[in-house]
Formats: sequence, structure tokens, C-alpha cells
Amino acid sequence: MKFKLIYPRWEKLEGQTIFNLPPHGPVVMAAEIPQSVEIDFTDENVEELVIDNNPDFVGISMMLTTQVKRGWEIADQYRKLGKKVIFGGISTMLHAEETMLHADSVFLGEVEGRLDEVFRDFHKNDLKKIYNFLSKPPDMSLIGPAKRDILKKDLYYHKGFRMVDLFHASRGCIYDCYPCAVRYLGGRGFRPRPIDRVVEELSQMDNNRLFIVDNSLALDTQWEKDLFRAMIPLKKKWVSHTIEDKDEVLDLAAQAGAWYVYQAVFDTSDYIKNRIKQYHEYGIAVEGTILLGLDNQTEDDIKRLVDFLLEIELDLAEFTVLAPFPHTKAYSDLLKQGRIFDTDWNHYNAGKVVYHPKHMSAERLTELYQYAWDTFYKDEPQSMKMFNLINKVVSREIADGTYTPRRRDIADLSFGKKVPRLA
Amino acid sequence: MEINPHFNKYMDHYFNFSGQWDSPSKCGLKIINRKDGKTLAIATEIYRQNPGTPVTEWCAPLATQIMNEVPCPPEQFIFIEHTPDLRSKLAFYEETFDLVTFEVRDQTLVNPNWTRLAPEQVDEIMEG
Repeated sequence: MKFKLIYPRWEKLEGQTIFNLPPHGPVVMAAEIPQSVEIDFTDENVEELVIDNNPDFVGISMMLTTQVKRGWEIADQYRKLGKKVIFGGISTMLHAEETMLHADSVFLGEVEGRLDEVFRDFHKNDLKKIYNFLSKPPDMSLIGPAKRDILKKDLYYHKGFRMVDLFHASRGCIYDCYPCAVRYLGGRGFRPRPIDRVVEELSQMDNNRLFIVDNSLALDTQWEKDLFRAMIPLKKKWVSHTIEDKDEVLDLAAQAGAWYVYQAVFDTSDYIKNRIKQYHEYGIAVEGTILLGLDNQTEDDIKRLVDFLLEIELDLAEFTVLAPFPHTKAYSDLLKQGRIFDTDWNHYNAGKVVYHPKHMSAERLTELYQYAWDTFYKDEPQSMKMFNLINKVVSREIADGTYTPRRRDIADLSFGKKVPRLA
Repeated sequence: MEINPHFNKYMDHYFNFSGQWDSPSKCGLKIINRKDGKTLAIATEIYRQNPGTPVTEWCAPLATQIMNEVPCPPEQFIFIEHTPDLRSKLAFYEETFDLVTFEVRDQTLVNPNWTRLAPEQVDEIMEG
């Protein structure tokens, strides 16, 4: 039986460096598909999708809201050919009701231990309209290594440099942050994977550079310390979201290969300044994630924030405007206040303003968003700052013997497409 | 219904409801039978204590369920949504009250519309 698994393309933000990372959702799903099923995976962001009669069953995995309209379009075309289509993934859960209009089936929740039933139902021609496991998270020890061999690895290189692979060590989050939907997607509890299963998966990964995509590693100190201790011998180098600010934890993180972290910068306080300084003291670089357009930000606040980012010597900064994704408090609040004016999901890319900000017009917020990018990268462009970060990790890899040289055979390709060769 | 000694003037018990996709969900609730014969329900979002769907996202089905359990005819039913102050550094978690009005279709409340209320206005509505 042939199962076509598709990761729909989305439009990238204008003017920003494009990095296509190997997707995580499809490889986690693929690990749970019965072994007798032949999986043919297409990531539309790096290769063309050919829609034909070849597959027996089609799966569409969607992570971003900006993927859903394209996902629905693909499903409609396959269903016209008489193929059954099932949807899964984060943005399927966020947009489940709309997605059901384009699907034979939608899968809500986490897949471990659940896909045998789906494929059995498909074989019996008795696919359910909805498989709802949203309130029933699986036993975390069931989560084994993701099936990364479905990926066409050469497509995730930029001029011979390999992109990081995505990996997760926990799910869920105890917080209820204003713009975040994890509460709905992964539940309100923090669910770490058993350390031995994490190590089992990491040991199997041939990529030395990883992005640990967990919402936050800073939710259980003992587990965090155990995780980092177990990771030290593996010599991986990794990017993650926040790490706890305890010195002992940061020291272990650095030994375990912490390369740089994404740290939300929401004000110009000493707390933030010290947090960045503390990471740097342990040799961990910081990419600030800065959300613009919150109700407590005036124009002056945004300008002050950008000046502050330059002062605290962030290694990189990523600016976004608030996107009120469904199932977030931001969405609830703005909906109640009648402030959302654009419901085209393709515009929910965190670069377009889709609501009326409190202290300025949508147009002015768009200008300030551009101002923030331009000002932060005025003296040193993003590509140069990224190059500096890569140099740091290369030095560490050379020192511990894990460095893999750039691939010369594909140095003229960027994500599978021809580009001018590097000097 | 579960009773909690920490409830305040806007909620005196928890209300369990079946949220979106049948998620087990919970909110705070206060029911006031006013002198004029109308029934006021104040549903409070309890954030981390709510394992499922937030009140705003499930406002119409939740209000319908409460109205039916009271029971109360739609024209006699008043619904207020309350979010408590979480004492967060972020202003978005401050206390708010919204009067929610609905269209009625086959005794079911649909198409919610929210109007922000000041605490004094809530007190007036509570007193009837």
C-alpha cells in the first residue's frame, strides 16, 4: 500500500533569509505508520508536488496556519481523483472545523499508538471523519525515534551547508502565554520524554546540529539537568528555546552543546539584560524573539526596544508582529473586541498585521516592524551575524572532533535549486 | 458541583462542560436569580485550572448548556464572561467583564457578541 505524505508549501516572509528546515511533524507521524505501508514523502517547500493516481491513501501534515489553504487545495485535487485524504499536525488542530470540509478524515492530537487504527479503518473502507485524541496524550515512553529516512536529505542543504535537524525532548507547557496555542495543542501539563528514549533517538541521528523544538526546556529543573548530563557524551550542538537561568543548569547546557537559544525579549528591563549576559557568560549565543504590536506597546516603546536590543548585544534578532492564531488568548481577546479585520489565513505569517493595534494603525505597525528589522541589521546584516554564529559552532566542533566539512558536491545548490557557487 | 473556599463575588462554584472536540473543560460560575425574574450567569475563565476549552472559544455552547441546566428561557437569560486578574506582568491578564449577547436559533444560543463592562456595571446587572 502506498501512502503519500505531503507537507504543503507556504509563502516565506519578504526580504528575509530563507532556511528550509527538515520538517518534524511528518517524521514523527511516519514513525507510527505500520511498517507494511510504503511512504512517499513530499515537502513542497523544497520540491514540486506531482498530484497523480499513484497513491492509495494521502496524508497532509500541516504545522503553520499559512499552510492550511494550500493543504486544502491539495486535498481537493486528490479527492477529485477519488483518493481518501487525512489531515494531521498542529495547524490541522488549530483549523480543524474548516479542514474537515476538505478532508475524508482529520486526526487531532498526538499519533503514538494511534495510527494502526487509522490504517485498519482505511483498509476496511471505514475511515472515521475525526480521530480525536486531543485530551488523551499518549504515554511519553511510547515516543520512539522519528522516521527521518523519509526525508530527501540533500534538499536540506544551503550551498553545501546542512540545516539543523528538528528534535523534541518534551511536549506540553504549564504556561498560558498570550500569543501561544500550546495549551490547546499539547495540554497544560509539561510532559518530558524519558531520558533514555531521548538519548536513543539522538544517538541515531547522523546530523550533529539540532534544533530542540520543545516550547521551553525550563519547566522541570531536575529533568533538564538529567537531560543535559545525558547529552554531554553525544557531543551534539543545538539550538533551543529558553533554558533555565540557574548557573548549574546553564553550565550543564553549555557542556551538552547548547549553541544558541531563542529568548523572548518583551521589555527593556535589567532582567532581560542580565539574562542575555548570563547566556553569553556560558558561551551560549542568543537570538532574541521580539513580538511587536502588543497592547502595551506604543510607537516609542517599539523604538526604545530596538535600541535596547543593540545595547545588549544580541547575536541575532527575529521580529514578528502579533498574529492572533485560533485557540490563543490573543485571538479570544481581539475577537471579543472586534479588532480582527483580516481572516485570510495566508496572511497569518507574523509579518502582516491582521488586527487593529491599540496604540497605532495597522499601517504604522507594519512600518515599525520594517524599521525594527532594518535598524537592528543596519551595521551588520543578518547573513553576517549568522555567519559569526556558524563560525562559533564550527570552532567547537573542530575542538571536539565532530566537525563535518561543507559538502562541495552540492555547493551550487540551495535547497535543491541551482544558485551561484561560493568562492 | 465542586465548591472552593477561595471563590469570590463573581464565582461560587466550578462548572464542568464538554468543550470543543469533547474536551473535558471547566469554568467558574455564579448564577443569580434576579428580582425581575431574569437569570444572570457569570462564567469565569480559570486558565490553568481549566484543562480544556477556554470560555471565550466555547461561549455560545457553554451559555446554552448553562441556560438549559438552570433552566431558563433565552429571553430571561443574561450571560457575562469574566476573566480574573492573574497579577501577571502582562496587561493582557487583567480582570475583564464582557456582556455577551446571542442570536437564538431553536432554543440554542449562537453568534456571540461581546460588550466590555466596567466592574460597576457588572454590580448593577447583578443587583438587577
